[in-house]
Amino acid sequence: MKEILQALNELKNNKIIDDYAIGGGIAALFYIEPFLTFDLDVFIIPTEKTKCGNLIILSPVYEYLEKKGCSWKGEHIIVGGVPVQFIPADGLEREAVGNAKEIKYEGIKSKVLTPEYLITVLLRAGRKKDLEKIEILLKLTDIDRNKLGDVLRRYRLSEKFRRLL
Amino acid sequence: MKNTKKRKIALKKDNMITREELFKRKEIFHAEQAKLPFEEKIHALVRLQEIASRVKGNAGNKTVWKI
Repeated sequence: MKEILQALNELKNNKIIDDYAIGGGIAALFYIEPFLTFDLDVFIIPTEKTKCGNLIILSPVYEYLEKKGCSWKGEHIIVGGVPVQFIPADGLEREAVGNAKEIKYEGIKSKVLTPEYLITVLLRAGRKKDLEKIEILLKLTDIDRNKLGDVLRRYRLSEKFRRLL
Repeated sequence: MKNTKKRKIALKKDNMITREELFKRKEIFHAEQAKLPFEEKIHALVRLQEIASRVKGNAGNKTVWKI
């Protein structure tokens, strides 16, 4: 885990990506009790130079990691023993990365989506397991309801959220 | 319908609790687990992955983080 966080910070410091934040199950795990998950989702903001029209070129990210000895397993790249999936951030996720919570893991700085953005991203995905996580996040985490309401409204997810409650 | 909430459960010889208390304790346990340091949660996750890799057999997800 330490190794992937170091690698993510290197990608940012070496300007291979503009920014990143941990999302998905591991972000949820930061706020709620431990549960089984297998991969680490990382939302990244690609640099301008990796954008080519509608195409986002992630090869510089993967080439950097491969040079460090990371290998592929299916759709994941294994960094320090952890299967990682990089997700180029869209509008909502870009905002979520920009507002992510700074954390430390064994002394290594990193960023995790805040519960408000995590709930919004999970709600939009809308799979059963995502909705279950939302339920637990609402129960076990201090949520800024105003902030959550604002994000849900702006991304037209308020009605979907109301239906969930 | 009988009120099962107040029905007592014997955990040990001198430890009797109601179903209501049992579920309240369960909630406290979950809340305490949620407050564990991130590092401890990651170690717990790896333990869960180890268990899953053993019980699921060859068809299951064998991924165990090597951290």
